[in-house]
Amino acid sequence: MRLENPYLAQECAIERLKRQTPDVYTYTVSYAKGPHRLRTPFRPGQFIMISIPGVGEAPFSFSAWDEGEATFDTTIRVVGNVTSMLGRKGVGQTVWVRGPYGRGWPMEEAKGKDILLVAGGIGMAPLRPVIDIVAKDRGDYGGLEILYGAKTPEDLLFSDEFDSWRAIPDAELLLTVDSVPKGVEWDHSVGVVTTLFDKMRTEPNGSIVMTCGPEIMMKFVVRGLSAMGFRPKDLYLSLERRMKCGIAQCGHCQIGPKFVCRDGPVFPYSELRGLPDLIV
Amino acid sequence: MGGKAIPKDSLGEFVSKLSERYRIFGPKKRRTEWIFDEVRSAEEMDLQYSTTILPPRKFFVPTHEDLFSFRMEGGIEEPAEPEVRALIFGIHSCDLNALLLLDEVFLGEFPSPSYAKRRENTALVALTCNEVGENCFCESMGTGPSPARGYDVLLTDLGGEYLAEAGSKRGEEILALAKGRPATEGDFDGKAKAIERSKSKFKKKVDLEGIDELFQRNLDNPIWSRLGEKDLACGLCVNSCPTCFCFDVRDRLNFPMDSGARYKEWDACVLLEFSQVALGGNFRRDRAARIRQFIGHNLGWGGASQFREFKGKAKCVGCGRCIRYCPAGIDLTEVAEELRGR
Repeated sequence: MRLENPYLAQECAIERLKRQTPDVYTYTVSYAKGPHRLRTPFRPGQFIMISIPGVGEAPFSFSAWDEGEATFDTTIRVVGNVTSMLGRKGVGQTVWVRGPYGRGWPMEEAKGKDILLVAGGIGMAPLRPVIDIVAKDRGDYGGLEILYGAKTPEDLLFSDEFDSWRAIPDAELLLTVDSVPKGVEWDHSVGVVTTLFDKMRTEPNGSIVMTCGPEIMMKFVVRGLSAMGFRPKDLYLSLERRMKCGIAQCGHCQIGPKFVCRDGPVFPYSELRGLPDLIV
Repeated sequence: MGGKAIPKDSLGEFVSKLSERYRIFGPKKRRTEWIFDEVRSAEEMDLQYSTTILPPRKFFVPTHEDLFSFRMEGGIEEPAEPEVRALIFGIHSCDLNALLLLDEVFLGEFPSPSYAKRRENTALVALTCNEVGENCFCESMGTGPSPARGYDVLLTDLGGEYLAEAGSKRGEEILALAKGRPATEGDFDGKAKAIERSKSKFKKKVDLEGIDELFQRNLDNPIWSRLGEKDLACGLCVNSCPTCFCFDVRDRLNFPMDSGARYKEWDACVLLEFSQVALGGNFRRDRAARIRQFIGHNLGWGGASQFREFKGKAKCVGCGRCIRYCPAGIDLTEVAEELRGR
């Protein structure tokens, strides 16, 4: 029997495009047509490999998954070769997808506990499916608190969903931005995301923290929360590393003995302490 | 335990019978070094070789390999299955153990079809090493000088004869092609003596006792920045390593850009771009971090989690190539000793 080639991707169609901020778009991608190769279910926090033939492949998080519609959302900021070419793609055009891969957010461990999400900028994208799940299976989880920071008010992703997040029973959304341009109305905090720690209500005991953002931000999130008594095993971080294969073969994402693609991208801080080449 | 004693003067006939069935690759002398290359007769081989320039990894993980080809208007085509029916003659224990480690990477949860095919269709005739080189330290890595498993046939030089042992069904078929007499207890004693003789020749060693903790404790040791100053980041260590598996994945477009292929090619953790991410971020920008990754992966944390079956051992098999070819004279056995404060 011939082995399945793990690099074969599925050709998927861009079904919808939604502008989130001036340089971030959410693509709704349909995998309904063609030979089904994706590794469903999509577990929040896992990543997918998206590629454009002739340009290349890169890892992305997904910001939503609709099993019934056979679609997923990916929220992308144009920064490199693949995202630049993606940025030129419109509805009806195709991208190649394989995955999802890796270990996602600890949704099982979080059951019965309070959940604190701490996001910075585009780091909100992989946390959004967590909010969906908590809203859907509300009874399974304790309180939900979302701390979200961005450069300016217009850089906040999913701002049209904030009211529905606030409407989730026992949920809190705290916002902060680095700066507010002149003439922009803003009645939330100003400062880095850790400044919201003073206002939050989540207690260290019986809670799970999930954070995603620039690694330097997560460093201060870990530092701040540790000082408040949160334990390393309850702090989950999503790491970004260069990935060329996604399946623990190409070696690019290694951190000491860990492969971010296989052992992460989500790690409890207790597994990261003492590893080399980390900012956190 | 069976086994056969093959007179050395019948080796030519044995190899010529094998060559009717397999493409044979064996150690050939090239100027002052040796290489693994295709041979058609026993005379072309030098079985008194020390270590080849490149390990046999090149036969299983080519420098470049297409993952699939595509047409821009749509449509993906898988590459043809590699057509091999090869035999590697005279592979040493270090390089054989290296293949067992590569199996952990390429035959794991997401097996590589081409690697699996090449492994399946390549017979391995191993040779107990009696040419221990000045940079060799396989004994201390537990990977030599004679292999315990992974071969189809194992040959040991007993002077006038080779003791030949089969390690698989295919190995028994191969041995049936060789002239010789059934091996005696005396032949196995001879093998044990040959191994002891080789063991007495090692000049280098690595003390594996608690080596992963040793690296863990020494991540900030000034030795790394000192090595970073010396290191040329040329990648010779990685390219000559029998267990280095890292690769890059790229797309190639054919003229006139209506078709192309996605391919993988060897990459190296000691190169600057290896850990670079979008917007120029780089988690191992300094050479110190990169050489620490290479040495740490080989001796420290390589055995800890990546090669599950080899837990407690290291990625390094002690072939000594990275020491031999390093233009800056970096020697990972010396680094390990220095970390121990010796």
